Amino acid sequence: MTGLALLVLVLGAAIFGPFLAPYDPQAFHPTVRLQGPSAAHWLGTDQFGRDLLSRLLNGAPSTIFFGLGATLLGVGAGSVIGVIAGTAGGWIDSIIMRILDGLLAVPELLFTLLIVTILGGGMGQAMLAVAIAFTPGMARIARSSVLSIRTREYVLAAVARGEPSHYIVLREVLPNAAGPIIVESTIRVAFAIMIGATLGFLGLGAQPPSTEWGLMVAEARQFMFRNAWTVAVPGVAIAMAAMGFNLFGDALRDSLDPRRSH
Amino acid sequence: MAGKTTSHAAKRPVLEVAGYSLSYETATGPLHALKNIDLRVEHGQTHGLVGESGSGKSSLAWSILRYLPENAVENDGKILLSGESLRDRTLQQILEIRGRRISMVFQDPSTSLNPAMRLGEQLSEVLIRHRGLTPQEALEESEAALDRTGISKPKDMLRRYPHEASGGEKQRVVIATAFACNPELIIFDEPTTALDIITAQQILELFNQLQDETSISALYISHDLGLVSRVADSVSVINAGEIVESGPRGEVFRTPRDSYTKALLDAVPDPTHWLGVAAPPPETPALMTAKAITVEYGRQSRVAQLLAPKPTHVGAQDVSLEVRKGELVGLVGESGSGKSTMAKVLSGLQDFDGAVCFGDRSYARLGEIDRAYRRAVQIVFQHPDASLNPRQRVRQILSRPLKLYDIVPPEQRAERVAELLKKVRLPVEFADRFPHQLSGGEKQRVAIARAFAAEPELVICDEITAALDVSVQASVADLLVSLQNQTGTACLFITHDLNLVRQLAHRICVMQRGRLVDAFARDDAEAADRNPYTRALLKAVPPPASQAV
Repeated sequence: MTGLALLVLVLGAAIFGPFLAPYDPQAFHPTVRLQGPSAAHWLGTDQFGRDLLSRLLNGAPSTIFFGLGATLLGVGAGSVIGVIAGTAGGWIDSIIMRILDGLLAVPELLFTLLIVTILGGGMGQAMLAVAIAFTPGMARIARSSVLSIRTREYVLAAVARGEPSHYIVLREVLPNAAGPIIVESTIRVAFAIMIGATLGFLGLGAQPPSTEWGLMVAEARQFMFRNAWTVAVPGVAIAMAAMGFNLFGDALRDSLDPRRSH
Repeated sequence: MAGKTTSHAAKRPVLEVAGYSLSYETATGPLHALKNIDLRVEHGQTHGLVGESGSGKSSLAWSILRYLPENAVENDGKILLSGESLRDRTLQQILEIRGRRISMVFQDPSTSLNPAMRLGEQLSEVLIRHRGLTPQEALEESEAALDRTGISKPKDMLRRYPHEASGGEKQRVVIATAFACNPELIIFDEPTTALDIITAQQILELFNQLQDETSISALYISHDLGLVSRVADSVSVINAGEIVESGPRGEVFRTPRDSYTKALLDAVPDPTHWLGVAAPPPETPALMTAKAITVEYGRQSRVAQLLAPKPTHVGAQDVSLEVRKGELVGLVGESGSGKSTMAKVLSGLQDFDGAVCFGDRSYARLGEIDRAYRRAVQIVFQHPDASLNPRQRVRQILSRPLKLYDIVPPEQRAERVAELLKKVRLPVEFADRFPHQLSGGEKQRVAIARAFAAEPELVICDEITAALDVSVQASVADLLVSLQNQTGTACLFITHDLNLVRQLAHRICVMQRGRLVDAFARDDAEAADRNPYTRALLKAVPPPASQAV
């Protein structure tokens, strides 16, 4: 329930945020620099006197949709590879899995940094990099899920009936193997948001004057000791978004079990 | 009834449960697991508690051991061990009682032993804790205890880990542990259900022998009436949390008063009571012939054999059998005998050497099995929970074969699904249900309907009754026979239940360790020239309860 509430809040901000912002997120207000919350500026202002709430709401779409987009790409690619490995078996499976094992040995963030270095900085490149970094892990989950379903008696019954392979994969295996994949994806969105923020913070993702939350943290970092609000506001927003997706993923896992929902 | 038994019993009953009720608090309200239970186990006696799954028999065992989940709600009924109430004991006192005064033997020895401890340590741990022996004494005592259970090299066995012992050996160790502290009461919860037929028979003999030697009282919980009739002095029958009948063994089995007990007794397979269809005339041609089928698991390619040779495991060796039109052939064997391997070969799921002939066609390997064969030969699996796709409705499940083999035009499919449901005696409305909304028996009926939807010539039934309760088993067997009568379909009926197969099959084949060791017509089952293994199997099967007394 908490997860869903957080998620609604975060997604609401991502969709309607820019229209709700009380100020122009880029407008300087030199008289009210680095201030705490007040009636005029609910969440305070940054080093240029820009309204933090407006910046936060403006940055929500790029931050959240970055996470969703990167995950969607990664899950898509990973699932296709995993399902192929899981259903084909034999040497195809062995080759795919050994390559993935090699990629999995590299930490995700490091892997992402490597790809960004090759592709160059920017939001699109960063999204692609996170997606590529997610692919091996997702493939592994998809494959193990498919393997556990493939030997169920209803799948064997379909094979014995002489069903075509695409029917077996799409109708018998995938709907039942999708649960773990979907749950893992929602949890991955949280990771993607955090990696995106990290890349923004390191200057490899979104570029100024973007209001992407990671970049906001990076820009406010120097003034952290004069006013902690400037760091805390985007920081807490990132944490809330990540937690929302995480808790939602847990709840989803429970409700996806057909035996639990009557 | 209480007055009658106390009058001629010199001692107090070892276990007395009186007016005991138990319910579980659930999200949808209280679930009544036990209702007003009265049960007595007299000194030195074995009391059988018989019930189907969900009847509350295991709940009662846990109540006696005082091991209940937090949502359990009890009334103020009594549970007395030799006259002392167990219900007002502290946890500390209960821990002292468990193992020393009451011990328990569970269904599956492979999960009730700690895989990381040697068997000897597990046995002597109990002796050290409850009888205060030194480790050395405990080890000697363990050896003696194991010796009594008929294990050939007890010293060797004590040094082994659970995975180094067979299922029967493990259960012997568990039973030895239970008897080790000379408790007042031992609760046996289906102690032979997870074992093979012949091993189960040996464990039962061991139980009777130890029982005679020690005169420890026992509560023997089982779903199997035939089995209980061979061990118990008195019997209680439990149904939906209520004891419906209770009394001395002979009385309950010979003259059951309650209708549920009667139904349960009637459902026990009786080999002398023929249920099957009329045998096809002797000149009927063979429908399906398996010729010298061999299956090796873990077979490697030539390159892999050179690089890292691994031993292969033979699933079936040179198995030949035939099924004639309209015939029901029984295939019997213990677990690992290769009977399920044969089911997989014949339903086109497993590669093989040899040949499968069907009609006028012959198939020499898995790749040659074609659509026509797959339509003509259908399979029904053991586990009703696993054999239906949980995300498809019954309508979808049943109409799939109709569509795949184009059996009826699309506009008639709904009608045909309804007909199929009627044929397997399910309400037509079940078409809209998901599998998890059906009971085990209902699911198995849907699986049977799916097999018959293809209008097959041969149906392979792989242990289709093994996962079902006795009464459901009987109705599924009956359904199969009536379908055979209507359609003339032949059937290969794979089972470990010899009594059941002798009610249904015209001919019976016996497999042991991957080989076909015996094949005979039903009437020749008792013939003197039967293979020794067949005879051992027949001897090990509990005779129906009514005959045992």
